[in-house]
Amino acid sequence: MAANRSLPRPIVWSVSAGILVACYLALIFPFARYLHQKPVQEKLGVVPKAEFLQLVSADQKQLVAEGLTLKVLLYFGTLAEKRNNELQLPPDYQAMSRLLHAAVKLDPYNMDDYYFAQSILVWDVKQIKIANALLEYGMKYRTWDFYLPFFAGFNYGYFLKDYPKAASNYMRAAELSKNPLFATLAGRYLNDAGQSDLAIAYLNTMVLSATNPSIKKTLQVRLEALKKARSIEVAAAAYAKATGIPAESVEELVRQGYLPEVPRDPYGGKFYLDPDGKVKTTSNYASPVKKTKSAPQ
Amino acid sequence: MFEVFRITLKGIFRDRVFHGILVAAVLLPLVPSVSQLSMRQVTELSITLSLSLISFILLLLSVFLGGTSLWKDIDRRYTFSVLSLPISRTRFLLGRFLGLAAFLLLAALVLGVVACVVVSITAGNYPPDRPVVWGNVFAAIVFDALKYILLVAAAVALSTVSTSFFLPVFGTIATMLVGSASQQVYEYVQSPAGEKLTPLLRQCANALYYVLPNFSAFDLKVNAIYGVPLSGQGTLLTVLYFAVYVAMLLLVATVLFSRREMK
Repeated sequence: MAANRSLPRPIVWSVSAGILVACYLALIFPFARYLHQKPVQEKLGVVPKAEFLQLVSADQKQLVAEGLTLKVLLYFGTLAEKRNNELQLPPDYQAMSRLLHAAVKLDPYNMDDYYFAQSILVWDVKQIKIANALLEYGMKYRTWDFYLPFFAGFNYGYFLKDYPKAASNYMRAAELSKNPLFATLAGRYLNDAGQSDLAIAYLNTMVLSATNPSIKKTLQVRLEALKKARSIEVAAAAYAKATGIPAESVEELVRQGYLPEVPRDPYGGKFYLDPDGKVKTTSNYASPVKKTKSAPQ
Repeated sequence: MFEVFRITLKGIFRDRVFHGILVAAVLLPLVPSVSQLSMRQVTELSITLSLSLISFILLLLSVFLGGTSLWKDIDRRYTFSVLSLPISRTRFLLGRFLGLAAFLLLAALVLGVVACVVVSITAGNYPPDRPVVWGNVFAAIVFDALKYILLVAAAVALSTVSTSFFLPVFGTIATMLVGSASQQVYEYVQSPAGEKLTPLLRQCANALYYVLPNFSAFDLKVNAIYGVPLSGQGTLLTVLYFAVYVAMLLLVATVLFSRREMK
């Protein structure tokens, strides 16, 4: 009797399906919004120790390593805003470095890790010694690759001012690549000269070989800034040679016709000449950090 | 024995588990797109993903087909009717194993051919710094298949003593994990950090290292992905290790299966 009073099954099913679809539609958009707005630090997550990963990843070590690398890349990509090269949040460089170190322990041959560490961590975090230790670790495995000694040579010369080590790494890069440019650079380091030109040559090579849009853009901005600083250096040298006294400011170089206009710092800073006559910028060649509401304090 | 071998192969192709696992292979054509996420090694990533997927599919096939084949025969009392024919238990067991091994080799070769097409498409679009060493890619796939054949031998040995589904399946998974980690555990025990362990624990770890299967020698992914030269002596030793270890496992399995009481 009870069965006779109840609604027909197709109707019950249709109504149930309708209610469930409505509930799902009501839920899915806030749910997707929540995931989209989740702080990026949370997205980078916590990674177990490399030794543990080595044990549990069985025969999939290279895959797990690449997974960690791509995680860092995607994390960095979401941070880099498309306009003005401003960073939305202070990036968690320590976590990025941890992930990269774990990745090279799992797969010491993975070039993406060394390339990313050199492209971003060296310039932004200034952890040059850690980066060089990573590169020297990679050189033990990627014995054919000229990029690693090329990166290490640049770091030794440009940042650490250790010219003999810079020269020996550039010589190694020249041997591996058969490219005379590196031998020339090694020679220049041995003479301790032309720092800006070296940095421009280095960044040109990096930009040409960059395929990831976030990395490429970061490098291009840095290259543009260094080229502008170099143009001021050249103008200041010409001014000093002609007048016998160093220029007091960049504006003076413009007034005297040595520069067509005051070069604009792509990082948003202002170029100036320090008391020693060296070209500096108020941005210190770093992007301004813009904190958002979702950033943990 | 050949009849059992033939029936085993035929049975696998009809098995629904096999059809389910085969679906994973449709991911292979997606590899070139996913590989573009890499900054500096697109072709290398395509080899990594292809080999990892092949390895994963072979693992599933070894566990769910290799680990359950003999157990299902016993559970469904198929063995009663077969063993009443003029065929020994040893021949039945070896026929089953050889059928599974041949199937794994065949699956590895078919998947390997698809992977080579996928990798060559990627290498055409994104030429790698160093050319792909196809011989190493082929060796990595073959050695992967050998590793899983060894795992199937362990699964068959476990099936001979098991009365339930759990031991062959979970025992095979555990063997895979232990076999993949044994080399690293051994190296840790031998390192200065391992000297802090108690002498008894170190001796136990050393003893287990020599007894348990060692799968790390079969992993030639690094050689395939980055073109690192293979060691001729190393590969020969690995093949010999495979032959001897499989023979030992099958001997144990045969003895246990012959003495097993069929109810």
